[in-house]
Amino acid sequence: MATLELDSITKTFQDGDEEIVAVDDVSMSIDDGEFLVVVGPSGCGKSTTLRMVAGLETITAGTLSIDDRVVNDVKSQDRDIAMVFQSYALYPHMSVRENMSFGLEESTDLPDDEINRMVSETGEMLGISPLLDRKPSDLSGGQQQRVALGRAIVRDPEVFLMDEPLSNLDAKLRAEMRTELQRLQNDLGVTTVYVTHDQTEAMTMGDRIAILDGGELQQIAEPLKCYHEPANQFVASFLGEPSMNFFDVTLDGDRLVGDVFEYPIGDDVRADLGETTDLVLGIRPEAVELVEGGADVPHEFGMTVDVVEPMGDENTVYLQFDPDADTETGATLVATIDGFTRVSEGDTVTAHIPEDAIHVFDRVTGEALHNRSMEDAADQVDLA
Amino acid sequence: MLDFYRRLHRAISPSSGDGDEPRTDGGVVSDGAASGPGAESDRGAVERLKAAVDNRFGADFVESSIFWLPPFLLMGLFVYGAVIWNLLISLTDYEGFANAPDYSNLDFEMYTRALADSGFIDAAVNTLILLVAFTAGTLAVGLLLAILIDRGIRFENTFRTIYLLPMSLSFVVTAQFWLWIYNYNNGIANSVIGVVGLGPVSWLGNQDIVLYAVIFALMWQFSGYAMVVYLAGLRAIPDEHYEAAKVDGASTLKMYWRVIIPQLKGATISAAVVLMVFGMKAFDFLYSLVGGYRPPNGADILATKMVREAYSNSQWAYGAAIAIVLFGMALAVIGPYLVYEYRRNNL
Amino acid sequence: MSDDKLRTDGSGAMATTTKLRRNLERMTVEDIALYVVLVLAAGFYLVPIESGLVTSFKTGTAIIETAPFAPPGASGFTFEKWRTAIDALLRGMGNSLLYAVPATIISALVGSITAYGLTIPNWKPSYKALVLALIIAGIFIPYQAVLVPLTQFWSQWVQLGDLLSFVWALGIDDDYVGIVELVVTHVAYGVPICTLLFRTYYKTMSDEMMESARLDGASLRRVYRRIVLPLSGPMFAVVLIYQFTQIWNDLLFTLVIVSTESSAAAPVVLILAGLGTSMEGQDFALRMAGAFFAALPTLAVYILFGDEFAEGVAA
Repeated sequence: MATLELDSITKTFQDGDEEIVAVDDVSMSIDDGEFLVVVGPSGCGKSTTLRMVAGLETITAGTLSIDDRVVNDVKSQDRDIAMVFQSYALYPHMSVRENMSFGLEESTDLPDDEINRMVSETGEMLGISPLLDRKPSDLSGGQQQRVALGRAIVRDPEVFLMDEPLSNLDAKLRAEMRTELQRLQNDLGVTTVYVTHDQTEAMTMGDRIAILDGGELQQIAEPLKCYHEPANQFVASFLGEPSMNFFDVTLDGDRLVGDVFEYPIGDDVRADLGETTDLVLGIRPEAVELVEGGADVPHEFGMTVDVVEPMGDENTVYLQFDPDADTETGATLVATIDGFTRVSEGDTVTAHIPEDAIHVFDRVTGEALHNRSMEDAADQVDLA
Repeated sequence: MLDFYRRLHRAISPSSGDGDEPRTDGGVVSDGAASGPGAESDRGAVERLKAAVDNRFGADFVESSIFWLPPFLLMGLFVYGAVIWNLLISLTDYEGFANAPDYSNLDFEMYTRALADSGFIDAAVNTLILLVAFTAGTLAVGLLLAILIDRGIRFENTFRTIYLLPMSLSFVVTAQFWLWIYNYNNGIANSVIGVVGLGPVSWLGNQDIVLYAVIFALMWQFSGYAMVVYLAGLRAIPDEHYEAAKVDGASTLKMYWRVIIPQLKGATISAAVVLMVFGMKAFDFLYSLVGGYRPPNGADILATKMVREAYSNSQWAYGAAIAIVLFGMALAVIGPYLVYEYRRNNL
Repeated sequence: MSDDKLRTDGSGAMATTTKLRRNLERMTVEDIALYVVLVLAAGFYLVPIESGLVTSFKTGTAIIETAPFAPPGASGFTFEKWRTAIDALLRGMGNSLLYAVPATIISALVGSITAYGLTIPNWKPSYKALVLALIIAGIFIPYQAVLVPLTQFWSQWVQLGDLLSFVWALGIDDDYVGIVELVVTHVAYGVPICTLLFRTYYKTMSDEMMESARLDGASLRRVYRRIVLPLSGPMFAVVLIYQFTQIWNDLLFTLVIVSTESSAAAPVVLILAGLGTSMEGQDFALRMAGAFFAALPTLAVYILFGDEFAEGVAA
């Protein structure tokens, strides 16, 4: 078990005469036993970051330390890490038992019977004991996944690295393995870095999540903090499904003026905005409420229902401020509402956008100027 | 200090981290780091050199050299070393029974001699004719066979096996077959043209014909190879291309000519290069045809002339000079080919 | 269960026959022409071989009296030529095996190791490509360009004969030094093609699997021993077959290294090249018998492993 420290890690590739920056000055420190999920869209540098930690890519600049020991120049096999790959990368000519013993045989001088015992124990823990003598080609995708996991676990490394290990499984199995992986990591207490593009995995599995975009670290924090207090517009849009609503607005006194609506703000919010006038107003779909009555209260708007997507437990509704306006202009508001609320296309409804749930971003830098506070969000849940 | 020696040991032994003590290995490094950045300065010179080399060439360069370097050197000695040595010998006057050439007096005499030697000019012309005619003919036959076989026929494997069969035989063996086919009195070649009232022809005796008779025999032996290469190329073309052409109303002939064959450029280039190399090695065939160094009149090529001058006439330097010309011809073919493959990232 | 199986089998067979019938009905003139051309082409490739085979069993008179591709008939049939050919070539056959087998095995192993070092380990691709280009160019050089130095090398520089004097002391003919020289020579010139063949195969191996093995603590040597080598089986089949055929069939190196067919170590191709040529003209039947006998090993390999051979030449 160990701590892991990335200090200004940078990776550049040479592509012809062009220099491509894959990872740009990323710093983060991961605590002993922590489960960190690194998430981002494809090409954001998350896999490259992981591969640098593994020693599979050289580090262009910055230092990487495991337990305060700088390992930039230490070869992969001497870093005492284990990695689970997306393709599982099992050795096809070896049985499951041989696959799992391989790492112990190569990296330790343990006697054979000791290795055997450890493999059997790990097999039991993962429920793959009956498969130990089979070849990988005889196993299902889920079983191969477990073997890949077992191969990493049995080595009892300082750090686990996982590169989208669940993405080749079907949805149901993926949900199961998600829980199981968390449980295992909890039991073993091994520092884990987990790379994924799947925000559900990011939100549910990690102690903290690190969000990368364009090779740069956008935010690293607890999942709920990232969700409710995103550092910038990218993080806000990346987490959450359906995505947060954004409206370009301009600050005018104590009002946010958009193309089709005006939104009055209180002193607290106004204070956060300072001198910036070009802003983006953000509101999560689940924070939007459909209420009775007309739109005469400041934060309530009369809207037309454009599309309803029933999901069963809830409905996703697409609302328009002005039914005649072009939908491209950002005049659409997405709201998720209770599955039993009846609305249908063409209805006129009143939408309430509560002021304590809005986010305001700097339109130029994308930086979050005002976020809903996590305490407020928690209060609301308690009340309900 | 002990730490330093351990590091040194690790740096020198090529199999560091291998087998015995990687765990302690890890421990050593953390000890070193614990003593602070000052420890950096006592890094062994060997390790620093290794790190520098690794930085320049990539992380596994030093460790992997044990795999490819010895074979590379062996091959380099026998191929490039020998070619350079051969070039050197071609500049001497080495001949006869002397054990070794005299390297003290180098000149281009052998090359001027070659230019004045009508036998050399003939052999060079014959080599060019053989290369071009043999390669073009073999490619054409191979392409035709590949297209026929690729039309979803039954017994495809049997046909393919038969067409490729001659390729598995030695030149020495096939030479015997063709000697029998081309023989004047009761060879098949004369029986066949006899049917249409021609001949008999002295296939191997007539100076104007013999080269083409040899080319024909070589085509027989290698068109199966061209077929296999083309077949792989055809299989790589998606069915949609055939269907699209059909839908567009192209006739079968037009479809192949306009749509399919242009896509076989890669296959054609690689097959042509290999065939030209085979053509240059036709020595074995010509030698076996007569059981000696002098091929039939009119079929002498540089490959046979080189061996004859060197090993039969003991004109070592002259033979070496002819070999250099042959090598130059090969280089003119494979040089561009390798550059082409390199550009396409195929290496 | 068994009933089920039976039924599927039955219907399967029926489907095949129906399909066949439909195929036959659908045979157009074009299809028939296609098959005629294919069969004629097959004839073209087989006639020289068939004609050689029947001729090898003919007596001198039968050769003159029967057509070259016709079977000899009862009166003109003889094993005599085969007997003579085998007598003349058997010694060469043994000699050929003596260098072809070790040279084949060694060059396949060396090719596999070289290709591994140039494919899987992680070093600069541009330098790898340079080394590879130099190696691949080695496939294409005409051997004439190295012959004279090769002769010099073996006769003047490396006196293998002297080095191995203890072997000759055992009563083995010192001509056999040629066999050792042939092994080394064929291995050296076999490095390029064997490396190329193995490299195309290793390029398809999963990068993640190799990385996984490295992370598991295996050194490059162990990765080769425990992962790559055990997975190389199919390519070894291809390379061994290709290389054996090439080495067995090669005449040029045997000619300059062993030089005379009267040598105790003369390989079969060397003896065959001069077989059947004598004062009284050419004995074609003997030549054909010899050719077939000498080709037996490669023919056997081709017939048994035709697919691997095709793969080897196509690469």
